[in-house]
Amino acid sequence: MFDGLKDKLSSFRSSVEETADKKAEEAADQENAAAESAQDPARDEPDSAETAVDPSSGAAAATTTEDTDESVAASASAEDTVETDEDDGPSAFKRAAAFATGKIIIEEEDLEDPLWELEMALLESDVEMSVAEEILETIREKMIGETRKQVDTTGELVERALHDALLDVIQVGQFDFDERIAAADKPVTIIFTGVNGVGKTTSIAKLSEYLADRGYSVVLANGDTYRAGANEQIQKHAENLDRKLISHEQGGDPAAVLYDGVKYAESNDIDVVLGDTAGRLHTSDDLMAQLEKIGRVVDPDMTLFVDEAVAGQDAVQRAKKFNEAAEIDGAILTKADADSSGGAAISIAYVTGKPILFLGVGQGYDDLERFDPELLVDRLLGETE
Amino acid sequence: MVLDDLGSSLRGTLDDLRGKSRIDEEDIDEVVKQIQRSLLQADVDVGLVMNLSENIKQRALEEEPAAGTTARDQVLKVVYEEMVDLVGDSTELPLEPQTIMLAGLQGSGKTTTAAKMAWWFSKKGLRPAVIQTDTFRPGAYDQAKQMCERAEVDFYGDPDGSDPVQIARDGLEATADADVHIVDTAGRHALEDDLIDEIEQIEDAVSPDISLLVLDAAIGQGAKQQAREFDESIGIGGVVITKLDGTAKGGGALTAVNETDSSIAFLGTGETVQDIERFEPNGFISRLLGMGDLKQLSERVERAMAETQAEDEDWDPESIMEGSFTLKDMQKQMEAMNKMGPLDQVMDMIPGLGGGIMDQLPDNAMDVTQDRMRRFEVIMDSMTDDELEEPQSIGAAQIERIARGSGTDEETVRELLSQHKMMDRTLSQFSGMGDGDMQRMMKKLQKGGGGGGGLGGMGPFGD
Repeated sequence: MFDGLKDKLSSFRSSVEETADKKAEEAADQENAAAESAQDPARDEPDSAETAVDPSSGAAAATTTEDTDESVAASASAEDTVETDEDDGPSAFKRAAAFATGKIIIEEEDLEDPLWELEMALLESDVEMSVAEEILETIREKMIGETRKQVDTTGELVERALHDALLDVIQVGQFDFDERIAAADKPVTIIFTGVNGVGKTTSIAKLSEYLADRGYSVVLANGDTYRAGANEQIQKHAENLDRKLISHEQGGDPAAVLYDGVKYAESNDIDVVLGDTAGRLHTSDDLMAQLEKIGRVVDPDMTLFVDEAVAGQDAVQRAKKFNEAAEIDGAILTKADADSSGGAAISIAYVTGKPILFLGVGQGYDDLERFDPELLVDRLLGETE
Repeated sequence: MVLDDLGSSLRGTLDDLRGKSRIDEEDIDEVVKQIQRSLLQADVDVGLVMNLSENIKQRALEEEPAAGTTARDQVLKVVYEEMVDLVGDSTELPLEPQTIMLAGLQGSGKTTTAAKMAWWFSKKGLRPAVIQTDTFRPGAYDQAKQMCERAEVDFYGDPDGSDPVQIARDGLEATADADVHIVDTAGRHALEDDLIDEIEQIEDAVSPDISLLVLDAAIGQGAKQQAREFDESIGIGGVVITKLDGTAKGGGALTAVNETDSSIAFLGTGETVQDIERFEPNGFISRLLGMGDLKQLSERVERAMAETQAEDEDWDPESIMEGSFTLKDMQKQMEAMNKMGPLDQVMDMIPGLGGGIMDQLPDNAMDVTQDRMRRFEVIMDSMTDDELEEPQSIGAAQIERIARGSGTDEETVRELLSQHKMMDRTLSQFSGMGDGDMQRMMKKLQKGGGGGGGLGGMGPFGD
């Protein structure tokens, strides 16, 4: 997952580096040129044209040359236009000071193009638009006006900003799933919600295997009394994994099935109840109301929202709606095989404030991975293999 | 619907251009930025969005508007043409014997789509059969079988089989009597080589006339790669977008269409087998730009009326055309309305009501009207048959009784009666039409006859 984004992030880093290096060079050139132009007013024209393009070196030139000759007028006017363009940029004084001590300052317009590229890269990775904007905002805040010593690499600065910005949106309310299961009173009831076809039932089968591996006994309850073939599907999984399944006839009351599941677990000393629900679109008011009812009747210990890593911008809409109808504790992202862009993970965590807990990464029962935001961000920003 | 937001945000931006005779680059940039935003939020591929917006910008700036055209109309025209160009025509599906294969990711809705398409073909007078070759997903066989029972179409599958290619071959033989064979396949990721090998073998076995890619409306930027890979292995002739009844915009479908150089065949808009629409590019674009979609509307009206009539043999909508419109007719029409789907969907298809006006209505306007319709229904349930047939005869005492019986108040009952009277008057204007051709009636409406009272059942939400 996230392979495309990883490449784009590293190209973002190098283009900011490039900009900064160019700027450092120009600043150095400018210093020489300005010093010369003080003696040689005829050389002023091309230089001031350059200062108009590069604001910080313009400002630096203005301060170093002082009010001695004509070149000042040109440089100063170039600076004026720059200053009106960005009011909250670093002051001429700060820039001069930075320049004098051999540092340069990263300014908004240095980042404009790379940030635009980055935004497109995030969107291409299915990060939802408002979330992408949030990430950019964080990077902007962290980088603009930052001084860097010329001995530091700009790369480090960018990397830190990217790291923080990404972690900010992905790492929300993370908790240790295993610990919470271990600490909870048994039976622990977990309900799975989500739209049609995202892989709820398969995730339940996988999670039951995950829990069994950790020594818990598990019962499945099929609250999907609606979809054709739903009972047969989960029945087959239960047989394959040798799990007990509680189910009713198609068309029955889902809350009742899940309730029976809990009762069964209580009287048979089962540790965990995994309750499936019918996939539903978040626009279906009746079905969303049903979900609320399930929440009330069963009062689950945990509600997990399942969505697919291939989902696009809409992922946040539905995550929000499901969270409203039956508050979720975390999410499972399915179909997160190597090539999916995975922006949905970032977006869902950010808008719900609930962590992504697991990734479904294949068709086998073992293909369920714990989701670790730190690890992901490190991997995203790590060296490209 | 696909790209709904593009419609409203575009209209907003374009409204800012109103009154300008010339537009400069800055105006265009603003419009283009809006378009980019909307398309990106609709999950259209980033590269495609950039191309499209570049084209729009260039043409809007370079092309001279025709004499008498405002700048706004010029931009609108460019956007319209570029969109039409991108969306293309609806996939050609001749109404004749053929074999269609479905492919797509897990959970995109292939099995449901297979049953829906079969239902659609059966309504067109052909005999379809669905062949289920998914041997991997537990429950796939049962789901397909049950869906096909609901669609009342032939079905072949083998719950114990393990070789999809063999099942496909056997299926074609077993359903040789059918005209249209729809071959459903297991969901697969386009990058899993062994699964792609498998679908290529199925393709060899059934040699489909066309293969359709089934895409979830919510699919993101991954649509491009999926479409390309599937196209390379089996050749994609058309795209079906499913789950359009959610909030996803289905922009992935535009990407897929562009990538495979194909077109959109069907739209899936709900969970029952009837919830399928043939994609209509004109209607789609018109709806997008707020011009309504008459054809879809009249089809829905006809279907709903036919269903309502089938339930109650005594009722004959033709009599309305002859100028007698009773409360019973109104009741039936409201039933038919309910069958047509959510009010806001229907409204969006009505010329002059869709698009721009819909944007201006408060969010709960539709709920309010629907509530009111429901109240009217309850009131009519409390009336006797005679009262329904002869609403003119209802007096004050009866109103009081009806109000009490229906748990409403007298005012609401009177409201219903005056609504009926207004609709009756409006409808008598149409009575000359005779043959009850809904489409003609709609056209007449469009020309300006309708307004508040409007067509029969639509009256209740007029004001």
